Amino acid sequence: MSTKTRFPADRGLTARMLTTVFLLGLLYALFVTVLFLVGLKLVFILVIAFVLLFVQYFYSDRIALYSMKGKIVTREQAPKLHAVVDRLCALANMPKPQVAIADVDMPNAFATGRDQKHAVVCVTTGILRRLDESELEAVLAHELSHVAHRDVAVMTIASFLGILAGLLTRVLAYAGLFGGFGGGGNRSRGGGGGGGQLALLELGMLAFSALIYAISFVLIRTLSRYRELAADRSGAILIGQPRLLAQALVKVSGEMSRVPTRDLRAAEHFNAFFFAPAFAKGVSLSSLFSTHPTLERRLAQLTELEAQMGRAA
Amino acid sequence: MKLFDVLLGRTKPAQPNLDHLFGLPGAEITLEASLGLKPTGQAGVCFKPATGQQFAQTTTEVEQLLDLGEGVKIHEESDSYGYRWAVIEDSDFGDLINEVHVVNTTLEDHGWGPQLLCSVFGFAPIPGGASDPAGSTGAPKVAGTYLVYLYKRGSFYPFVPLPAAEKRDSDRERLLKVTLATDLAMEPDLERWFPLWGLPVH
Repeated sequence: MSTKTRFPADRGLTARMLTTVFLLGLLYALFVTVLFLVGLKLVFILVIAFVLLFVQYFYSDRIALYSMKGKIVTREQAPKLHAVVDRLCALANMPKPQVAIADVDMPNAFATGRDQKHAVVCVTTGILRRLDESELEAVLAHELSHVAHRDVAVMTIASFLGILAGLLTRVLAYAGLFGGFGGGGNRSRGGGGGGGQLALLELGMLAFSALIYAISFVLIRTLSRYRELAADRSGAILIGQPRLLAQALVKVSGEMSRVPTRDLRAAEHFNAFFFAPAFAKGVSLSSLFSTHPTLERRLAQLTELEAQMGRAA
Repeated sequence: MKLFDVLLGRTKPAQPNLDHLFGLPGAEITLEASLGLKPTGQAGVCFKPATGQQFAQTTTEVEQLLDLGEGVKIHEESDSYGYRWAVIEDSDFGDLINEVHVVNTTLEDHGWGPQLLCSVFGFAPIPGGASDPAGSTGAPKVAGTYLVYLYKRGSFYPFVPLPAAEKRDSDRERLLKVTLATDLAMEPDLERWFPLWGLPVH
């Protein structure tokens, strides 16, 4: 059987993504090693972090749907939408995810769920109203590519380091605020000689965790942007018409800046207070700007793909 | 390799599997013997058109190839989902299968294999036959009987739409699945038996 394809792999994107994954892994290893060497009583924190990861990993579909107020729709309720997803899944040879609609006027779409069996693809009524059928199909192809790439699982696991470091930063900060750094305050009842050393160690750990948190945050965002580009690419190849995805992006982005956004951007501000960046939301089309490449970058890639289609194989 | 693909966020476009189409002549015999159905002589190849001159040239080439054959008619139609259909008519079922195969391989040879969605073969009751659903009442109960071939899965499923808007005869479809199980690779995942309302094949 021939496996002819008109699209060579994008080696640049692959290399950049691999580098980011490698750096995250390196950072993770460094962090765990230091924790281990310092020997703080970290079992408790590790357990909490694992529980959080577990919840995000296994309930990402429900969390995301709940936070976006998305409702699963049956074939009878949304025959057109189902028909489009049916055909795209048959083209891509993947199991069909559940289909949901969120009654939100903001034009957006997201895919969630840890693997193909638990995947949900959700569109808002806002995007249904603004895009024509072929543009909507392009958006769905992008979201289905997220499902095929298992982006929710990858991003959840990648953000585990963020959860861990963020949690530790907070625990240490609170310990410092309320407990005083190992005595030395007004009411030092019996800190003893070891107090000063312990305080220094805790301060050092606080600074170190905060630094790790900051670096991992940037790396995770970078990874997220590369995965968006990868989903754009696969989605555009799937429908065979990169131009349509570009059109949909322009339309949605234009609308996004005009709509007074409250809910989604508020969620992003809350990221500072959440234990982890709000990746449990799933991978959305264009809501959290910093997790997405710029529109120019995405359009440039699609234009290049469009040009490739015209060239001889 | 799978893990690597997940880490790197990429998928390879799914390539079609064309081999199972040649199980159809056996299915034809079974359908006629046990359900009194015979081919209508129409088939459709459904594909997602891609942009660019290259794709347009390929489809023109397909039409020219088939026009060389005798007793075959081909025309193209677009459906409301943005897919194109090459509708082929040939009264000889064996020839019809070959012609569908020509369309497939031509697209595949030019690198458009991933664009293939499905192909559809139409069947109808033998007039006055024992199991002709129209036989006693006069009005046809079903709007058509189709066998749909999913390229990417290499499997078939039956599609029996009812004359009423967007309803299908699931009992009849299940009967067809059981009847054809030995002749054809039937799609086990019922989620993938998607309806093809308003398809341009009879």
